[in-house]
Amino acid sequence: MEVVKKIWKFLSSMTFAILLLGLLVVACAVGSFVTQGQTYEWYAATYSETAAAWIVALHLDDAFHSWWFIAITAFLCANLLLCNVLRLGSLIRRTKAANDAASYLGTEPDASASGISDPEGVFHRLRMPKPKRVEANGKTILFSAKNRAGLWGAWVCHLGILLLILGFGLGQMTKKEFTVYGVPGQEKPIADTGLTLRIDDFRVALREDETVEQYTADITVFRMPQGSTSVPDQQSATISVNHPGRLLGMTFYQNATGWAAQVDVWKAEQPLQSEILCAGEYLTVRDLPELVVFFNAFYPDYALVPGEGPKTLSSSLKNPAYLYSVYYRGEMIGMNVLMAGEKLTIDDYTVTFSAPQNYTLIQIKRDSFTWLAFVGGIVTMLGLLLAFYLFPQAVWAEQADDGTWTVHDHCRKRGTLYRETFLQAASKNEKE
Amino acid sequence: MLQVENTLFTIVMLLYFAAMILYFTYLAIKKDLLSKIAIGLQIAGLVLHTAALICRGIGAGRLPLTNQYEFATAFAWGLCLVSLIFILRFRFPVLGAFAAPVTFLVIGYAAMQSKDVHELMPALQSNWLGFHVSTAIIAYGAFGVSFVLSILFLLRDRAKEGSFFDQHIPNREKLDLISYRSVALGLLFLTFTIITGAIWAERAWGSYWSWDPKETWSLVTWIIYAIYLHLRIRRGWRGKTAAIFAIVGFVCVIFTYIGVNTFLPGVHSYK
Ligand code: HEM
Repeated sequence: MEVVKKIWKFLSSMTFAILLLGLLVVACAVGSFVTQGQTYEWYAATYSETAAAWIVALHLDDAFHSWWFIAITAFLCANLLLCNVLRLGSLIRRTKAANDAASYLGTEPDASASGISDPEGVFHRLRMPKPKRVEANGKTILFSAKNRAGLWGAWVCHLGILLLILGFGLGQMTKKEFTVYGVPGQEKPIADTGLTLRIDDFRVALREDETVEQYTADITVFRMPQGSTSVPDQQSATISVNHPGRLLGMTFYQNATGWAAQVDVWKAEQPLQSEILCAGEYLTVRDLPELVVFFNAFYPDYALVPGEGPKTLSSSLKNPAYLYSVYYRGEMIGMNVLMAGEKLTIDDYTVTFSAPQNYTLIQIKRDSFTWLAFVGGIVTMLGLLLAFYLFPQAVWAEQADDGTWTVHDHCRKRGTLYRETFLQAASKNEKE
Repeated sequence: MLQVENTLFTIVMLLYFAAMILYFTYLAIKKDLLSKIAIGLQIAGLVLHTAALICRGIGAGRLPLTNQYEFATAFAWGLCLVSLIFILRFRFPVLGAFAAPVTFLVIGYAAMQSKDVHELMPALQSNWLGFHVSTAIIAYGAFGVSFVLSILFLLRDRAKEGSFFDQHIPNREKLDLISYRSVALGLLFLTFTIITGAIWAERAWGSYWSWDPKETWSLVTWIIYAIYLHLRIRRGWRGKTAAIFAIVGFVCVIFTYIGVNTFLPGVHSYK
């Protein structure tokens, strides 16, 4: 039983809290120094075989979602919760006592001054509320107290952190994220949500110096009801960077852009197929599925720089070029750059790239717990404000036999720094 | 306007430098008058520095807080402001002799950065950026002051009884409390920085927290100062151990600010 008690005590202790916070620091440092989300081969090539083995075994490649990171956080939550629950009773008692004159009598004040003829003046100069005459322990004293809410600072802060971690954790477990990209006119399903996204328009606003001012997309989202002839449930919005839109319960972010082009395939001079491909996508030739054309990259202002390879000189369409590769039965059979108007010929087939345009990449998210994390953050801030800037303070004055008063001050957390202010307020009285 | 800013910036550097030298001289020859002049120079420097920031804001047509140079000069401004507040509030000019070199180092770092004005990429065009960075400046300034105070705290023991240092540096108990005040200010503002940053990231990237190195290191900094607060409450560990954590905390601040951009990749590298 003793052991269980000891463990329980340790789990709710501040020592454990400090230990956990220390571990969290180490965990974060590791997670930021080890590049995250790479493969074993990548780590082996970048660091060494041994390091790579350790990284994979200890999940250092995904530190912030590893079992040990989650365990530290879970222990911290348990610790915080216990600490807050166990301290609640005494906190309520202390809050009640804070406005009770009797609870201060006989305690050691932080500062005192005696021989005072005008105690009310001291209360006033200390910016205390008007003192009340109260009977305590058979004596009449002057008493005033303020800011007892400050006692709750740490407690509120801890609560806020709990809510924050809870909101973040629940969000991580339940959120849904998708990305959809395309050019104006395209309609794309949003994974398995039953929703379809249509890109109505996409604009890149450039400044005079050709830097990008804003990316803007007009989008429509719709859901086809069952028995699809009825009118779909749909909403539209204009979104741009920093201005997401909320449609049918999901949030849509203008996230990135890139180049797309129209790819046409002819067979024996007859048009066979026409598709819009984004750089990074491929096209399977319709009547010869073994033949695949991959659109590697697009250069709006192409130049072949010696020593550097192909690159683009600017982002405007001055000299467009398409980098492609061709695969037959999974084997690459060619790779090259096509300038505008050039044709790629493979036996009977001819492939052309044309009409380059920007596509938009839209990030789509549903996280039902963001609000909770946000509330947690605000509560944490509030707790810090209470803890750091609202000092619970009590001032009381007792009358001596000669009719002069002794004024005492109890001011939590300000210690000696406050003593001077107090003594000044008290001594002014004597000069007058 | 940018030309004016340039000139003002140079004058501000000179003023900060002069204030620093005067604070040093004050330590060396211990004349109170010197500390008063030093404080005066620091105030003058701060006023012109404020004017310089405003000029840059007008010249660039936006908040002057978006690249490495602008943040560095604003960081120096924050350090100067917060140290001045603490010097005046706690009648503690010796603090100036230790804070001024840090301020000067930071503004020196600013002077080495490119002063070109670039147009903002779309992700940076947000009001949240303003809140995010201006609260960071105060937080960093306050942490800088607590760093200096903690060093003083550790050195305090060496002062001989009755010596100048002994008389002009508050005792350990007071130093600890003043340092606590500055950490409190810093942590409050850092919390605000992180929250506004998260809101902004949510709007710009669709994710309020993505363990980007700069985010991670601001969290590390935040936790280090939380540890400091709890160490202060524990009897056995208050004082020296807590002071060491306040120093480590500021090292983290500097690493978050400079190191992360230099050594680790992420969305925060102002490319
Ligand atoms: C991320 C984690 C934590 C943060 C940010 C945090 C924050 C704070 C803050 C701001 C204070 C007020 C300090 C002051 O007034 O100077 C405080 C006090 C305190 N914390 Fe924490 N805390 C954390 C975790 C914990 C945990 C897990 C415990 C559990 C034992 C704990 C126990 C305490 C205690 C006992 C106090 C003193 C309360 C008082 O003065 O009334 N803290 N904490």
